[in-house]
Amino acid sequence: MALTVDKKYDENKNMWILKPVGEIDIYTAPEFKDILLDIIKEKTISIVIDGERLEYIDSTGLGVLISGLKKLKEKDENIIIKNMKANIKKLFSITGLNNVFIIKE
Amino acid sequence: MLKDSIKMIIPVKPEYVSVVRLTASSIASRMGFNIEEIDDIKVAIGEACSNIIMDNTKEDIDIEVEFLLYKDKLTIKIDDSEKNKCDKEINSSSIEEMKDKELGLFIIKTLMDDVDCMNEEGINKIIMTKEIGVVENGYRNE
Repeated sequence: MALTVDKKYDENKNMWILKPVGEIDIYTAPEFKDILLDIIKEKTISIVIDGERLEYIDSTGLGVLISGLKKLKEKDENIIIKNMKANIKKLFSITGLNNVFIIKE
Repeated sequence: MLKDSIKMIIPVKPEYVSVVRLTASSIASRMGFNIEEIDDIKVAIGEACSNIIMDNTKEDIDIEVEFLLYKDKLTIKIDDSEKNKCDKEINSSSIEEMKDKELGLFIIKTLMDDVDCMNEEGINKIIMTKEIGVVENGYRNE
């Protein structure tokens, strides 16, 4: 399964909304990184990642999220992750990344 | 006692990691692992493949993955690059500072019941094992 990423700008909340559909792994992570860094460059504001249709993420994908977060933190902005599937939530919890990102149900 | 073994050889390219993951989850499902265990195996094998790919600059080598199916456990043997010895200690104090590769190894060690490394005929291997439903009270933990 490949990866597509829906992105939109929420004017009311002044946030990016990213909805990855599919898998973020060593094959698709570079593409995800390009998208993430592009929107941060365009507008450095907080990003909501909607995980409703994210089926899988690996350490390379987590690395991309961490590098995005580092850039946002410089401007006091954040990455909020919501609707994560159980298997992905487990990965965040064993790595402790659930305390690094803002996780919402 | 070993029941069966399945071997696959893939080019050292990112696009084939998902093929190994799918194969691993199909084997694990056939053996009777529950969904959470299958996911653990899938993530661990994916990380092992990614580590090798990240270490290798040559494109002409292959990754060999061997699944050893026992009645109550699945052992996966996979080539490892020399740079990424699986007995390497993970020193980073925080997850955020870990390199992708260290993070991968950390994930493998957390999700699998046993992780070992060995040198077989000059090739470094990671050997990881997952037991079916770790039993605490005589019943399968589901």
